[in-house]
Amino acid sequence: MLGPDITWYLAISAILFSIGVLGVLLRRSPLIVLLSLEIMLNGGNLALIAFSRQTGEGTGQVFAIAVMAVAASEVVVGLGLIVAMSRRRLPLDVDRLRSLRG
Amino acid sequence: MIAAAWICLLAPLGATLVITLAGMRISGRTAGWIATTSTSVSFVAAVVAFAKLLSENPEDRSHLSTAWTWLGTDQYHFGLSILLDPLSVFMMLVVSGVGSLIVAYSIGYMDGENEERRYFAYMAFFVFSMLMLVQAGNLLLLLVGWGLVGLSSYLLIGFHQERPSAIAAAKKAFIMNAVGDATMALALFLLILHTGSLDFGSLIAISSSSSLVINLVALGLLGGAVTKSAQVPLHTWLPDAMEGPTPVSALIHAATMVTAGVYLIARTHNVFELAPNILDLAAGLGAVTLLIAGLIALVQTDIKRVIAYSTMSQIGYMFVGVGVGAYSNGMYHLLTHAFFKALLFLAAGLLIHALAGEQDMRKMGGMRVLMPRTYWLFFVGGLALVGIPPFAGFFSKDPILAAALAHGTFGAILWVAGVVGTFLTGLYTFRMLFMVFWGEPSAYAREHHHVGPGTWSREGPLVMFVPVVVLGVLSVVGGWIQVADFWTPVSNFLEVSAPPLVTASGTQEAISSIFAVAFGLVGIGVAWAIYGARRAEVPSAPGVQSALEHKLWFDWLYDRAFYRPSVWLARALYRWFEQPVILGSLREIAAGAKESGSLVSRLQTGLLRVYALAVASGLAVLVVVFISVR
Repeated sequence: MLGPDITWYLAISAILFSIGVLGVLLRRSPLIVLLSLEIMLNGGNLALIAFSRQTGEGTGQVFAIAVMAVAASEVVVGLGLIVAMSRRRLPLDVDRLRSLRG
Repeated sequence: MIAAAWICLLAPLGATLVITLAGMRISGRTAGWIATTSTSVSFVAAVVAFAKLLSENPEDRSHLSTAWTWLGTDQYHFGLSILLDPLSVFMMLVVSGVGSLIVAYSIGYMDGENEERRYFAYMAFFVFSMLMLVQAGNLLLLLVGWGLVGLSSYLLIGFHQERPSAIAAAKKAFIMNAVGDATMALALFLLILHTGSLDFGSLIAISSSSSLVINLVALGLLGGAVTKSAQVPLHTWLPDAMEGPTPVSALIHAATMVTAGVYLIARTHNVFELAPNILDLAAGLGAVTLLIAGLIALVQTDIKRVIAYSTMSQIGYMFVGVGVGAYSNGMYHLLTHAFFKALLFLAAGLLIHALAGEQDMRKMGGMRVLMPRTYWLFFVGGLALVGIPPFAGFFSKDPILAAALAHGTFGAILWVAGVVGTFLTGLYTFRMLFMVFWGEPSAYAREHHHVGPGTWSREGPLVMFVPVVVLGVLSVVGGWIQVADFWTPVSNFLEVSAPPLVTASGTQEAISSIFAVAFGLVGIGVAWAIYGARRAEVPSAPGVQSALEHKLWFDWLYDRAFYRPSVWLARALYRWFEQPVILGSLREIAAGAKESGSLVSRLQTGLLRVYALAVASGLAVLVVVFISVR
């Protein structure tokens, strides 16, 4: 098998995922939150593909493509929400959007 | 032959379905003709079955036809089966024959009512239920028919659902009949337990059980019979049932359903003969009823109620007949009674129809002038009811009395009651006739007498009048098919199904006839003196009169004994149990749920990052758990 060991890929995947998590938790702009979510998803994709290569099967790649499709749809919805919010001049700040408080 | 019996049973059911499904697409009159046609088809089928049965040897005249196994467990199997034998074919003829006449009469009587279609659907359904009862091939199906006639009786008594009194009467009839249904069901449970079967043929197998069980079974069956046939002490529903339309009273509460008890005793005579005490009880209750009903009828002012009490009284005679074991005499009286009582009811219906629904006899009077044909028909019905020869009642009532006389000492007591009963019958029947028809027409009658446009005479529409005439003819000639001791085709026919226990001698027949006719004539004479010619005052006896007007306090007693305690119990339970325990606990549960909900809702901060943190930390915990457990 060519290339680095699978551990390296998984490490990169974990780093990407953690960056995404931190972005989701720490940033206030919904746009950045969405972006961080994409990073998390791609971290997951990287792990899937790495495992797929390790086992020599195509299943992981199929999953990765499915995840991309879901991610694309999610972005459409998310961006649509953000555009709608900015049109209604709502603050683009997740800490101030808390009308779901119980 | 079996096919004819099935057609007879199912034709009215078909009419019910057609009328119900057609709904508003057919007129009320069409619905009436559909119902009449179906019952006539039943009658023709019954006649065909009867003719075929006659052409067979008397011993072979019993046919059981099973459509399919209706209810099966591993031990018991109950078929959806019908039994065709002399007893059932006899009842089929009565039910479908008198039924078609009365349904045809209803077309005129119910003309212009709001919900004629519903009425005719119920009527056809009743005829089906009654045929089911008499054709049932085992006791379970008989109980089904028993319940269905109760249901259709309830629906028809309460037909005028806008009248609270009609609804109350319907409920009363249904609830009291439920008591009888329950005792019958208990008897059937005992039968299944001890014989493992409910077929009529295996009833005799109960004889190997203890006498207590036999008595209980007979008592349960008698309970059903007494309730359905409105005998003392479970009779109070029948007079109130007169709230239903008059043809309903004629068909259900005079000619067919209320006589089902007599049929039941004749059908299950094997059980009753093993419990002679219970059979004596049936005869005794019949005798008590015929006296009590005759007495109460003397003070009634509603024409239909007089006839209703008279029905109870005549069924009392039938109970005496089957109670002493003269089954075919009881059944024969059932036949002639169906003729003349339906005649009286339908003639009363003509009066009520012509007088804009008035039923109070005190407001009538002099109707002979206004409706002469109805008067003569009523007169024939009255003579047949009192049992004056050569009218039908004479030929059927007197053999019952003769059979009672042949039954020993107890029978002699029954005989005395029966003879006194004929005096009362003559008195109340002709009191009614003289009050309604004799004298000058009352102001009320003159003012309200009106039979509607397009009718052929002052009596009523032809479709109503013809059935009454047919019944009038039958009330005369219906008695001639059997003259006791000389010519007994009816008894010979029925004896295969229910052989009699007693045979009256010619002397006993003669004594009974002489006494019964003499007492009947005395009754008519007294009625004539008081109400016809007005030569005598009504005897004044305030205590007796008040007792009779209160119907001997049966209603009062049941009110105190059952209704009030249950209302009191219900109120007490509501006050002391439902309110504090059930309703209180509901309040507490609701408050608790609310409280905990408001506590938990504090977790919902609305901050997206808190949620994300919760998800992420949960994920982290899971990861740690998975890794460390591995």
